[in-house]
Amino acid sequence: MEKITSPYKWGMVIDLDRCTGCGACVVACQAENNVAICEKKEIAEGRNMHWLRIERFWVGEYPDIRVRFLPVLCQHCHDAPCEPVCPVYASYHNPDGLNGQVYNRCVGTRYCGNNCPYAVRVFNFHDHEHAWPSPLENQLSPDITVRSRGVMEKCSFCIQRIRRVKEDAKAEGRMIKDGEVQPACVQTCPTEAMVFGNIADPRSRVSRLSRSPRRFRLLENLGTHPSIYYLKGGGREHV
Amino acid sequence: MSEPEHALAAKSAVQLNDEMLSSMRTPTWRWYGLAFFLGAVVAWGISAFTYQMMTDLSVTGLDRPVMWGIYIANFVFWVGLSHSGTMVSAILRLSQANWRRPILRAAEAMTVFSITVAGLFPVIHLGRNWVVYYFMPYPNQRGLWPNFRSPLLWDATAITTYIIGSSLFLYLGMLPDLAVVRDRASGWRKKIYAILAMGWRGTAREWVVFRKASTLMAALIIPVAVSVHSIVAWDFSVTVVPGWHSTIFPPYFVIGAITSGVAAVITLMIIIRRVFHLEEYLTPLHFDNMGKLLLVICLLWAYAYFVEVQTTWYAHEPIEWEVWSFMAGKYTPFLILMLISNAVLPIFALCFKKIRRSVKAMLVITVLINIAMFIERYLIIVPSLSHKNMPFIWGSYSPSWVELSVTAAAFCGFTLMYVLFAKFFPMVAVTDVRELGVRHSDIRLGRTEVHTISEEE
Amino acid sequence: METLGIFKDVETATRAVDGLVKAGFSEETITSLTSAPYPDGVIVKTDQRTWFRWMSMAGGIFGACAGFLLAAGTAYVYPVQTGDKPIIAYFPTGIVTYELTMLFSMLGAIVGMFVEMKLPPRKERPYDPAIADGFIGISVSVSAGDQTNRAESLLKESGALRITREETP
Repeated sequence: MEKITSPYKWGMVIDLDRCTGCGACVVACQAENNVAICEKKEIAEGRNMHWLRIERFWVGEYPDIRVRFLPVLCQHCHDAPCEPVCPVYASYHNPDGLNGQVYNRCVGTRYCGNNCPYAVRVFNFHDHEHAWPSPLENQLSPDITVRSRGVMEKCSFCIQRIRRVKEDAKAEGRMIKDGEVQPACVQTCPTEAMVFGNIADPRSRVSRLSRSPRRFRLLENLGTHPSIYYLKGGGREHV
Repeated sequence: MSEPEHALAAKSAVQLNDEMLSSMRTPTWRWYGLAFFLGAVVAWGISAFTYQMMTDLSVTGLDRPVMWGIYIANFVFWVGLSHSGTMVSAILRLSQANWRRPILRAAEAMTVFSITVAGLFPVIHLGRNWVVYYFMPYPNQRGLWPNFRSPLLWDATAITTYIIGSSLFLYLGMLPDLAVVRDRASGWRKKIYAILAMGWRGTAREWVVFRKASTLMAALIIPVAVSVHSIVAWDFSVTVVPGWHSTIFPPYFVIGAITSGVAAVITLMIIIRRVFHLEEYLTPLHFDNMGKLLLVICLLWAYAYFVEVQTTWYAHEPIEWEVWSFMAGKYTPFLILMLISNAVLPIFALCFKKIRRSVKAMLVITVLINIAMFIERYLIIVPSLSHKNMPFIWGSYSPSWVELSVTAAAFCGFTLMYVLFAKFFPMVAVTDVRELGVRHSDIRLGRTEVHTISEEE
Repeated sequence: METLGIFKDVETATRAVDGLVKAGFSEETITSLTSAPYPDGVIVKTDQRTWFRWMSMAGGIFGACAGFLLAAGTAYVYPVQTGDKPIIAYFPTGIVTYELTMLFSMLGAIVGMFVEMKLPPRKERPYDPAIADGFIGISVSVSAGDQTNRAESLLKESGALRITREETP
């Protein structure tokens, strides 16, 4: 049983000093990945379907209030707590370093959702078959399924985009160029706060940024080894 | 030997048979009424579950981050309750305590029915129940297998083992009694009991093999019981959820299960004694001894709980302490009820012989213990999930009518299975109790007659 | 050929056994039928050794292999990387192996018990429902003809209430 290896290890860097909290990434993700449009009631019940959320924290007292934004998405941990607990292998680790979710294998035990310390996994509590009032269903991407009820979903680093670029690169007999594949959120970010690429390549932009002295990762003490590095303010203020 | 066993020894075998098998007489309208009521609640629960399965899981109270709620609390509670029979029966068999004899059957039956109810909940709480067969390891044309690294698969294996093991244990214990029932029955009933009794005649050789098999099964089922609840505990303790990731969970859950189980057996004994007029077979002596067992196990539970909180408090890891104080703050009345019913009250009260021998007091104590154990399961699951590592996603949960209906149906389903069992099968271990009569003798020692029960060395 | 005599209580039954033994029947051919177990030797002496536990052990070994194949074998055949865990992981394999070992040893114990008891019986054997009500049966297994008649008369002399004979095929 040889281990399947890959020259790619996808990673992301999010520069919190550039993030304005505009939320364009959230909308882009929703548009790209057929994420269900939720009603107000669902969101109030804690059942929103956003794959990417902007956490907003107020710091300080009036009139000295500041606000911090933290975009949280699936961290694609190298030692993901969500993967070993799925009884049917719906959550698994991809040789590219991605945490994969197989929608049609998911039975809906929600163990992975419980075990994710970042709480980035969302579950289809509601039946979202009709979440796109006509004619919005024309906007759905054909590269990715529309998930049924009872299935867990989460950010996949836009694996459909990665796949398409991989196929193009393979057809041309070359490696993927740095910056060629961009998930929807990275593509949309107006301040280029989000950078995506191959961390295994030491010369890629994301690799260089991930070596910045401003870097930190979320909940590092849990030993999940996330693939996302956050950059923040010279070490004085972490979120 | 005590008074009650002496009184029993004076009865004839026919009389003993009649009294112990009285639960199997023709059902009264009261029995039908009870069965109908229980069946109605079960039907209501089934329809609530069907509604959930046809709509979606939004009819429950679950959300992000509390993705497991009262269904899983039920699961853990019923698995815990299933420790009743095997632990009580097996431990008492192996220690050869004579007072076990009238209790065994009720306890063993309780195990089988509660593990059956427990096994339903992992299917009920699924998002896509109709593909639950993905869990099963069978060779298929896509070459897929389930993930045995997942504690849920360990659950499936353990619960399958335990259901089969405890059913066999119950059946084995019942074998000679089924022969007695077969001999007293007629018509279609006789045919069915004859098949179940497998032609048992009670020859000396059959008894030898039977006794050895009972001891072996008792010795085998105890490790299974311990492993089943440890595996259920691992569902929680192998995660990174704060408040769950604790090495004390497996022994703590096993102790909690034994507490819950012993208390439930006592409750059941009280009910059976009253309903089937078995006052001479389930005497204050039996409650006294079960009360002592309960006292020991409640002390152990209180110790385990103390240790868990004390280590959380002392190390004061921020997120762990946050989870504990959130739970203590939001669910204070439940927490206090749980501590009083599970620790303070039993430990105090069960020290007194008078209380242990009082059937009414034992009923109150044991019912409170089981209520407290259910609360305890809930308080382990929900608060930890509500306040996980990322405060932006802290949430809350309260069960919906669907979940409460299914919970009620579980309780009534268990009771209904028990009621049906008592009607068709011997509820007291008839031959076991009669063995006391066989071994009883009054021996003249010195100036008095001593009532004795002989045991081989 | 089995002959069964029904006796009212332990005293008459033991007298019957004594009588049979004195008349030359070996203890191995005599057995008691009771609905409550009596200590060995009170009515008849029986061989206390049993072999069904070997079946339980055989079941256990089978279960261990089955459990190992299930946990480790299926992981080997369908290797999917989850977390940083090895494909064949020690603890899960150990747990599943243990559970199946216990399951099959319990099944082996029950099956072995029935095999050793020779139940369910292949042919009809003499029995009396009165045994369930506390009467004691003494059964003698000897060749048909003279021996059986002798046994029956001895049983009757000792106070048997009824004699049942095995149905001749």
